[in-house]
Amino acid sequence: MKEIKEMSYNEAVAELEQILRTMQGDQCDIDRLATLTRRATELIAECRARLTATDEELRTILAGMQE
Amino acid sequence: MTKAMTLLEMLDVVRTFVQQPATQNVWVTAEVQDVQVRGGHCYMEMLQKDDAGRQQARVRGCIWASNYARIARSFYNATGQQFASGLKVMVRVSASFHPVFGISLVINEVNPEFTMGDLLRRRNEILRRLQAEGVLEMNRQLRWPLVPQRIAVVSAPGAAGYGDFINQLYTNPSHLRFTTRLYPAVMQGASAPQSVIAALMAVADDAPLWDGVVIIRGGGATSDLQAFEDYELAATVAQFPLPVAIGIGHERDVTVLDYVANARLKTPTAVAEWLIGCGESVLGAVNNLGARILQAATDRISGNRQQLAQATGLLPALARGAVERARARLGNATGLLSGVSGRLIHPQLERLGMTGRALATATATQLQRRRDSIDAAERLLAALSPQATLLRGYSITRVGGKAITSPDDIPAGTILETTLASGTLLSVKK
Repeated sequence: MKEIKEMSYNEAVAELEQILRTMQGDQCDIDRLATLTRRATELIAECRARLTATDEELRTILAGMQE
Repeated sequence: MTKAMTLLEMLDVVRTFVQQPATQNVWVTAEVQDVQVRGGHCYMEMLQKDDAGRQQARVRGCIWASNYARIARSFYNATGQQFASGLKVMVRVSASFHPVFGISLVINEVNPEFTMGDLLRRRNEILRRLQAEGVLEMNRQLRWPLVPQRIAVVSAPGAAGYGDFINQLYTNPSHLRFTTRLYPAVMQGASAPQSVIAALMAVADDAPLWDGVVIIRGGGATSDLQAFEDYELAATVAQFPLPVAIGIGHERDVTVLDYVANARLKTPTAVAEWLIGCGESVLGAVNNLGARILQAATDRISGNRQQLAQATGLLPALARGAVERARARLGNATGLLSGVSGRLIHPQLERLGMTGRALATATATQLQRRRDSIDAAERLLAALSPQATLLRGYSITRVGGKAITSPDDIPAGTILETTLASGTLLSVKK
């Protein structure tokens, strides 16, 4: 599995979709479920982090703008 | 002494010649320049140029405040343009002469359709030219990334439109992350096109840093979008390597840039909303994926748990059932077996019994036959034995146990042993 930090946004979303399909399919056994869910959670967190800024970052940016 | 008029008297005469019925309320076409509003009155220069652009006629013009508000409003409503420099207009004028300010034309009505036609003609000329050069659709065919986050901004620093844009972008409720940089440009007046082109060139130099560029300015009351109806600027935007979004006016303002830019939005705020919208829809998609994955995981776990519970509940009954089934099967097998023995073994046994009896009979017959043949042989043997011959009077003479059949070669004195039917007789040869 590729390092999440090295993935492009599109790759991350594509893997999320793949995970969803696996989970909805008949071939997914309970043993893989925990692994898949953990991976999905990490991917989603990374996608969100790339799209959004923390409050602190926003404050810094806005402060920079007002100078 | 020659009588002289005062200057004022002279110019009063001029005025009577200027302000004739023939110069009052006349429809005139002209180009307007240097349009300014002062104290509610609108002042301008009215020009006529030849095809080479040389001025052929020029006069001051004005619209008094009493008419200006009404004319400006109806002109804007009809054309989507402010009454501004660079326009060709058809106006109803009255020539006026003032002793200090000289001649001017006072405008009391404007025919917006003429201007509209002219604007359209000019815009279409630019668009046709871009089409002929094959660049018209180039910027429109570029794609913004899924989430445009790195935005180059071409605008006038300190302008309200820029401030609105930045404020909107950085206070978006979803906390979408944006990076922007201002590439300053003059956004009004005749120098605007060249200034915007220069700013775009600076953006192009930094192209790898940006997802796209926005050209924005607030649509002020005195906005003269006419400056943006410019071939050079339109060609630059059309061929720009990054997608361009335009937000340079109010609702009804349209320029040739709106036809060549990748995204056409009305105001700086609308551009910001559009960018935020792109990000929010992608963020929404990620959140949705997350929710569906969670649901799938939950379903799978509860499905497995249910299966387990069902299995646990079923297990004792299953075991009992299995034992019963096994027993029944065993009973069945036994029954079957007896049936099978009845059908298969009995005939075999019977056949075996028959064979036994047949064997006994055959043996007895054989034995009898052998016994009979032995009896016959015995009788034959008895008939052929030497004893029977001896009884009939014959005898056997032996020398040294060997039967002799001739008296020759037997030396005298030899003891002869003669066997008779009942006993042995010894004699000596003579």
